[in-house]
Amino acid sequence: MLWKDRYELGVPRIDRQHKELFRRVGAFLQVLRSEVCWNEKVIRLHEMLEFMKRYVVEHFRDEEEYQKSINYPRYEIHRKIHADMVKYVSEVSKQFEQSDNNEELMQQFGGRLLAWLINHVAAEDQLIADYARKKGMSGNDG
Amino acid sequence: MMDNIYSVFVDATQRVFSLMLNISEISDHPIKSFRCDDEIDIAIDIVGDLNGKVIYRFPVSTSLNMVNIMSGMQFQAVDVFVTSAISEIANIISGNVLTVLEESNIKCDISPPVLYKPDEDREENREYELQTSCCIGTTIGEIYLDIRLNRPS
Ligand SMILES: [Fe+2]
Repeated sequence: MLWKDRYELGVPRIDRQHKELFRRVGAFLQVLRSEVCWNEKVIRLHEMLEFMKRYVVEHFRDEEEYQKSINYPRYEIHRKIHADMVKYVSEVSKQFEQSDNNEELMQQFGGRLLAWLINHVAAEDQLIADYARKKGMSGNDG
Repeated sequence: MMDNIYSVFVDATQRVFSLMLNISEISDHPIKSFRCDDEIDIAIDIVGDLNGKVIYRFPVSTSLNMVNIMSGMQFQAVDVFVTSAISEIANIISGNVLTVLEESNIKCDISPPVLYKPDEDREENREYELQTSCCIGTTIGEIYLDIRLNRPS
C-alpha cells in the first residue's frame, strides 16, 4: 500500500498515525498474500491482527478528539463509521479464532480492509481537512 | 434528479476512481445489453424512496488492475480477496450515490454487496421504471453498471 502526500490532513499526529496504519496494513497484506503455506502465516497474522485492533482504536480516538476540538459538523457520522469498522474487525478476528483460522475468512477481510482504508483516508478523512482549511485552523495540532 | 440517475452513478464512479485509484479520466456511454463471461458481478439492493438494485460488472482484467493499484502488489487471478475488495468498491460507489440523492431529499438505504448470478435472479425479467445500463471506460479497463429502480407508487 502506497502512501500519497495528498492523503495528509496537515495534522501531524493524525498524519503519522495514518502512515503507520498504511504501513501495518500493507505488511499484513504482504504476509496474507505470500506464497508461504497457510499454517506458517497464521501465527504472524494473529499477531498483526491484535496489533491493528489496538492501534485502530487508539487512532480513531485521537482523530475523533481532533474533530471535536475543531467542532467538526460530521463528527457523529464519522464516529459511527469508525465504530462500525472497529466492530467489523473484532467480529472477524473472533470468527477467525472460532473457525480454527479459516483462510477464506481472512482473505475476504484483507480485500475489504484494503479498499475501506484507502477510501476512508482519501475521501472521508479529507473532509475533516477541508473543513479545517475553510475555518482557517488546519495544521495547528501537535 | 430522477431523470438524472444515470449521471449520479457515473459521477460517483468517477469520484471514487479519482480518489482511490488516482484515475481521473473516464468516459461513459449508455449500452443496451452486456455479455462477458469473465467478470465479477456485484449486486447492491436499494430500498427507500427508490427501490431496486444496481449491478456492477467488473471485467476480470479491470478488477485485477484496480486491486494492483490499491495494494501495490501483483494479483494474477480473481479469488476471494479480489472479489471482496471489488465488492467494497461497489459499496463505496453506492454510498456516494446515496449521499448525492440525500442532498435532493431522496432517502435510500443499501444492502451489503453480494455476488450476482443472473441465472439465480428471479427478478431478472422484471420491468423497472428507471432501467438503464452504461459502460464506463477508464485507463485500466471498462466497467458496466446496470441500474434497475422503481419509485414506490
Ligand atoms: Fe477517520
